[in-house]
Amino acid sequence: MSLQPRAPRPRPAAARARTWAAALHPRVWSPTLVALAVAAAVWSWVARRSPYVLPAPGSVVEQLAGDPGLYLVNAWATLSEALLGLAAGAAAAFAVAVAVSESVLLRRAVMPLAVVLNVTPVVAIAPALVVAFGFGILPKVVVAALTTFFPVLMNTATGLRSVPREVLQVFRTVHASRWDVLVRLRFPSALPFVFAALRVVFPLSLVGAIVAEFSAAGATAGLGTIIKVAAANSQLDRVFASIGCLALMGALLLLVVTTVERRVLSWHSSQAR
Amino acid sequence: MVEQRADGDEQAFVAVRDACKVYDDGPRHVTALHHVDLEVPRGRFVSVIGPSGCGKSTLLRLVAGLEEPDSGEVRICGRTPAHAAERKMVGFVPQTPALLPWLDVLGNVRVLEKVNRAARRRGPEPSRAAPERCDLAGDPVALLRRLGLGEVLHRRPGQLSGGMQQRTAIARAFALQPQVLLMDEPFSALDEFTREAAQLQLLDVWQELRTTVVFVTHSITEAVLLSDTVVVMAAGPGRVAGTVDVLLDRPRRSGLLDSAALHEHEHRVRELLSSAWHAGAGAGR
Ligand SMILES: Nc1ncnc2c1ncn2[C@@H]1O[C@H](COP(=O)(O)OP(=O)(O)OP(=O)(O)O)[C@@H](O)[C@H]1O
Ligand SMILES: [Mg+2]
Repeated sequence: MSLQPRAPRPRPAAARARTWAAALHPRVWSPTLVALAVAAAVWSWVARRSPYVLPAPGSVVEQLAGDPGLYLVNAWATLSEALLGLAAGAAAAFAVAVAVSESVLLRRAVMPLAVVLNVTPVVAIAPALVVAFGFGILPKVVVAALTTFFPVLMNTATGLRSVPREVLQVFRTVHASRWDVLVRLRFPSALPFVFAALRVVFPLSLVGAIVAEFSAAGATAGLGTIIKVAAANSQLDRVFASIGCLALMGALLLLVVTTVERRVLSWHSSQAR
Repeated sequence: MVEQRADGDEQAFVAVRDACKVYDDGPRHVTALHHVDLEVPRGRFVSVIGPSGCGKSTLLRLVAGLEEPDSGEVRICGRTPAHAAERKMVGFVPQTPALLPWLDVLGNVRVLEKVNRAARRRGPEPSRAAPERCDLAGDPVALLRRLGLGEVLHRRPGQLSGGMQQRTAIARAFALQPQVLLMDEPFSALDEFTREAAQLQLLDVWQELRTTVVFVTHSITEAVLLSDTVVVMAAGPGRVAGTVDVLLDRPRRSGLLDSAALHEHEHRVRELLSSAWHAGAGAGR
């Protein structure tokens, strides 16, 4: 029997180039462009008729261009709160999910608490946290972490249990240790679920940070503070400039998750194209 | 004493003695196995056939150590299934391929190597070092080539046909170099043509490795083509109705499928099945 050549890896450079070429085709981007143009037209029309509902797009752009430093500094403040919260919340959720999936006792103890925590509105907790932790970065990080925690916990716990019974049986017939089952079966099986949660939670962490900033408005940096103060002064262009920054940040965060997901989960059916 | 039995076990390498298994299915009790005996000599290919629900999978799970019998005992090479699992003596091929979708074919075949590494240190394996087993046994790539998977070593399960997936699962079990190979209807989901090809590839590999096999199937032809002995089970409650020794020369090839000798054996298995069916219908239903 002759030595056969290695089968090619799933996605060689040529295939990637083809994907990019396909993405640049007008068929792909033109609908988005048209929708954006329509939205802009509607916006300008409304802005001209009632300037207290929407500021003119031009004035928002002017506002951004006039003081880019202000928006950069505050966007960075909000983003770092959100990212720190994400990291802490997701790490804690992952650890708890593993503990809960390995021990029935822990599951019974922890899950009701987690559910209670989840059904309590974060908006209500935020002021209390500001009282507790002061006007620094800590309460914002905690609120962002809280918004992250529950979705990641639930999805990871479900994912860790998603190993098919027959696969577990095969591993049991060779007396695989719990550790082997956890690391070689449960972790990889949970990944699609974890990413599904991250896709929700990455943009959501911004909401957490903003809500916390609202609760301590005026005393701290962040786009939330800018929005709150500007809205009180009816500076709609400032409000919308900040909202634009937030939308952009959310989109970027989502892009990061989906890009990483595409790499890590290339084997999963959700990534089939 | 255990070691002695391990050497002198030509009689029963896999032995199930007087095993009973009852499931609590809500208010009802389902007797899956009723005083079942099974003896498989070393190096034999034994098929278990019977109607759906007669306890074939249950029997296999008992031998694999995935479940305990309510009474009776199971021995593999003189050891309990739990001991056998600790020593990685048992290869298991479930009804679905049960591959890991994030690993490629070769990765799937090798993954069991990496778990329970202590097994190799846990004691001598009587037949593992048999000299004629060398070239296929220790080499997953050679094994996969022989099973017709040489071209797809680095593909993921999602990119394989059903037949390829099932053969990968079989390669994974053979790669363990197990003392006993347990297969639960591995080909039942395949179309006729793919199934025949897979059967012949399995025969080809088995011819060389001569692992002791317990093979559960629904197909009479498959049972006769592959095995040395066909164990016929009957349902309600699950029990052994009889056995048919298959006296066909090895190595067996595809031409055999049309032969009178094969049909003759099929006929005997079918007779046993139907007489057990009528006996069961008279007594139980
Ligand atoms: N975990 C379980 N709980 C309750 N009843 C069970 C369980 N496993 C099997 N049974 C019952 O035991 C009997 C034998 O089941 P088993 O799966 O061994 O049959 P089988 O011969 O493999 O059938 P098939 O050919 O359809 O796979 C069936 O009546 C089934 O309903
Ligand atoms: Mg079955």
